Amino acid sequence: MTEQSLLETRNIVYYYEGNKSPSLNDVSLVIKKGVKTAILGGNGAGKSTLFYHLNGVVKPASGVVLYRETPLSYKKKAKRELCSHVAVVLQNPDDQIFGQTVKDDAEYGPKNLGLPPEEVKERAKRALEQVGLWEKRDQVPLQLSYGQRKRLSLAGAIAMKPDVLIMDEPTAGLDPQMALELMELAEQLHHNGMDIVMSTHDVDLAYMWADEIHVLRKSEKIYSGPQEGFYADRDLSYSAGLLAPAMFQINTTLAAMRGESPAPYPRTEPQLVAKMAPGSKRGKMEVIVSKGDFDQSYIDSLSAEGKIVGIYGTETRKYISANNLMVDFFFGGIESCLSQLLNGKDTVVVCDPDCVEIVEGKIKDMSAFGEPIDYTVTDS
Amino acid sequence: MVNWSPLGKLILVIAILIVNITVDSLLVTFVTLGIGLALMAYSTNFKIPFLIFLAILEAFVILIFGAGVISVNGTDSTQVIWDTDFLWMHFHMTVESFNKAWLILFRGTAGIAVMLAFATSTPIPHMSLAMKQVHMPPELIEIVVLIYRYAFLLLERMEAMWNAASSRMGFNGARTYINTVAAIAIGIFIQSTNLSDKSQIALDCRNYRGYFPVFSEPAKMSIKWVVVIVALAVGVYYFGRYTEGWIDMAHILLGV
Amino acid sequence: MSLLEFRNLTYSYNSRQKKPSLDNVSIKVEEGRRTAIIGANGAGKSTTFYSFNGIFKPNAGEVLYRDRPLVYTKEALRELRNDICVVVQNPDEQIFSSTVESDVAFGPMNMDLPREEVDRRITNSLEMVGMSEYRMRPSTQLSYGQRKRVSLAGALAVRPKVLILDEPTAGLDPQMSREVMELVDELCCSGTTVIISTHDVDLIYSWAEDIIVLNHGDLIYSGEPEGFFSDAAKTASAGVARPHTFSVNSYVSKIRGKEEAPYPRTSSQFVAKMAPEGTVGGKIRLIPVQDKAEAVQTSGHVGVYGYAAKKALKEADISADYLFDALEMCMQDAVKGLDSVLYCDATMYDMAKERIEALAKFGVKAEVVQ
Repeated sequence: MTEQSLLETRNIVYYYEGNKSPSLNDVSLVIKKGVKTAILGGNGAGKSTLFYHLNGVVKPASGVVLYRETPLSYKKKAKRELCSHVAVVLQNPDDQIFGQTVKDDAEYGPKNLGLPPEEVKERAKRALEQVGLWEKRDQVPLQLSYGQRKRLSLAGAIAMKPDVLIMDEPTAGLDPQMALELMELAEQLHHNGMDIVMSTHDVDLAYMWADEIHVLRKSEKIYSGPQEGFYADRDLSYSAGLLAPAMFQINTTLAAMRGESPAPYPRTEPQLVAKMAPGSKRGKMEVIVSKGDFDQSYIDSLSAEGKIVGIYGTETRKYISANNLMVDFFFGGIESCLSQLLNGKDTVVVCDPDCVEIVEGKIKDMSAFGEPIDYTVTDS
Repeated sequence: MVNWSPLGKLILVIAILIVNITVDSLLVTFVTLGIGLALMAYSTNFKIPFLIFLAILEAFVILIFGAGVISVNGTDSTQVIWDTDFLWMHFHMTVESFNKAWLILFRGTAGIAVMLAFATSTPIPHMSLAMKQVHMPPELIEIVVLIYRYAFLLLERMEAMWNAASSRMGFNGARTYINTVAAIAIGIFIQSTNLSDKSQIALDCRNYRGYFPVFSEPAKMSIKWVVVIVALAVGVYYFGRYTEGWIDMAHILLGV
Repeated sequence: MSLLEFRNLTYSYNSRQKKPSLDNVSIKVEEGRRTAIIGANGAGKSTTFYSFNGIFKPNAGEVLYRDRPLVYTKEALRELRNDICVVVQNPDEQIFSSTVESDVAFGPMNMDLPREEVDRRITNSLEMVGMSEYRMRPSTQLSYGQRKRVSLAGALAVRPKVLILDEPTAGLDPQMSREVMELVDELCCSGTTVIISTHDVDLIYSWAEDIIVLNHGDLIYSGEPEGFFSDAAKTASAGVARPHTFSVNSYVSKIRGKEEAPYPRTSSQFVAKMAPEGTVGGKIRLIPVQDKAEAVQTSGHVGVYGYAAKKALKEADISADYLFDALEMCMQDAVKGLDSVLYCDATMYDMAKERIEALAKFGVKAEVVQ
């Protein structure tokens, strides 16, 4: 079944003010519904220009942009429509803050859409809760840290309730913990129907997350498709200023040395560990759906049984930190638990109700690298 | 023209402006305007940037208002062209005030054109060196250099904010438009203050001593310059005295 | 010898802070040791740099440079900042002049050096960062990566003894990142002590000899990387993730019942450790380059490492397969049993040889030949 084309460009050409050479030259790509897409390569200007073509803010000199297979009409009303479906978050959060308080800024988009006041407030609240900034709703954005401002700019886009959320370098400048938390949120959003398109220089991050990539070199698109197909062609990736992700390099090198095929390609740490140490004695995985009704003693009881506890999901994380509970893995929970499981430990992942499928998906992905993993799903 | 001595250019500009003010000849202002535009065309290879053209036009429009005010405030005894009251204001236009208004209009425009010619043909470091050589206060020079540098950066940021606001329907309706523009102005202001704090630290890290040393020295002002400036100034001055009153705008336009 | 030191240093930006930005921190940076400072945002990293070069004066405790406490007079600080240069993350905060040339000239001219010397330094610094063709370009027409390189060149032109880089690879594409790190290696080999702060743990792990970990103004750890990353709880509470090679090595070793040590820090070391028994390593023909390079016959890949080597190869019209991260790529080839040729700067020869021979302790012996 082919995925539906969500956003598409056909041969678009764009000249930045006064320049003779185009910043986008004959770029054609298809972003499909439900497919996690990453855009690699090129310099900053090329990519953000591309994004602004996708939400209709910029019109190409030639070529067509389509949303859900319909070419964009650049009339005022149609543009307004489109902006509510396609949201763009830039790299620099300070370029996207338009409110005097955190709450005001989150309400900016929905208010501009002309929605009724109750709906505006509701959307802003929901968006701020999702990024974990609701408690700071009356603060002045200036007082927030860089990471918090980045989350605020994300909330502003989420509040538009777009079908597609395009993020430019979402983890740039974030420390590892915040970067992982943001990726978790992106996964949750994508899973719940808001398709995510990300641009990044971090090939390792893209490798872990994306289903499909599009690669830009200078002003042209040189590749669309699965990641392995791109990295396997060393000359191609070299020409785009990119290097193969570490995990890809390690896997292909080891496979070559063993005279094996590099497939299946491990993309996360536990997958690599599983491939390198097959047949290890594995522990069991328990997925516990959090209802926000447990305390430290519950977690301690799990630890007492020798179980390693990790968490996944914004609600769970908020609950844990609000109640000052201690777990083994506060961020990167699933991956760490899976690795521990391969080491023979029993593990527990406490997650949001709407994240169960995501967690299950990751567990099932491990079967390509060895024996399927035993797991149960229970309520807290 | 970029290679001409900036000090020479600066003194030439000052000399021409002074001569412009001291003679009352409209012809001199046309000549000066011509010199300014010619110099600009030469330095930009006959492709005067649209922005500069707009700047001159803007100056012209503002000057029209100024000249207009002058034209209706005649206090001399020449022939009265127009005398009327409007609300609380009394308009009294004479031949003298009418001609004076035209003179000032063109003087102003010519002056701006010549100054812009200087500005567009002189890189900022050279301009700051020339300013230093005419003993302008160093703080003022520093401000000019930094404003120039940061103006570009902030314009970049403003463009980014503009697009980001567009994406969130910030220009959807007049009220929203105004709110958004205000928000952008605030945002740029905040970013500029942050930038200035951080840049202050960076300047200290790089051992800033209060001025920006110029590495590639521009051409020095040679004796040729002095000769040219004096000759031009004297020549234009006498030409001006000679042609004073040649163009009587009141006579040409109104037949008086 | 201890090059830079904090003794019980405490610093707060303003008195309203709940907790000082740096709270009773004592650290030592050894001369010539590659040091990395890591920690979550707000941990106190920039406060640390600015305390090293005297921008911030501590509220308590002292800062020592070459075992002598800093003197906070204008003169002394000027001299200090000719020895210690800080390059911040955002190039726009430190490029002030309208052209590349004049901005790189800024540092040396503030040192009152003669014009020819300034000119020499500009040429040299721009060459090192690969921006020679952009010398007369206005700074407003540069891309982000180019601006980052110009700000780096500006610091290099001062020829500091200590170079502190804040997120030197942030926002750069992978190849440019590697080029920057190659330059850093070059500087380390020439005697500059380089201190890097970054969020990229994998980068740190492959590069640093010592790490300093800060969390909310407290010193959490100082010493060799393994000592920190082995403690998973400590790592997590500092908001830091473990490097991939460390993590995977740890898990796989435990599963296979093998020793975690020796700890592989790069992909090539990791693959060497995990390689099947009896793998025979390839040979790397290491060619030091002063100013000229000569082509060699080889069936394997050719790599080039170091800006002088790159320049020489370009002049001699020799093409190379590995232009970025060439040393690591040749080592990966060697682990696979393939031969390769690596041209490197003469100053970096010893370091490269040492690294290649270090593969042996991970199980695959790669031979360095002339």
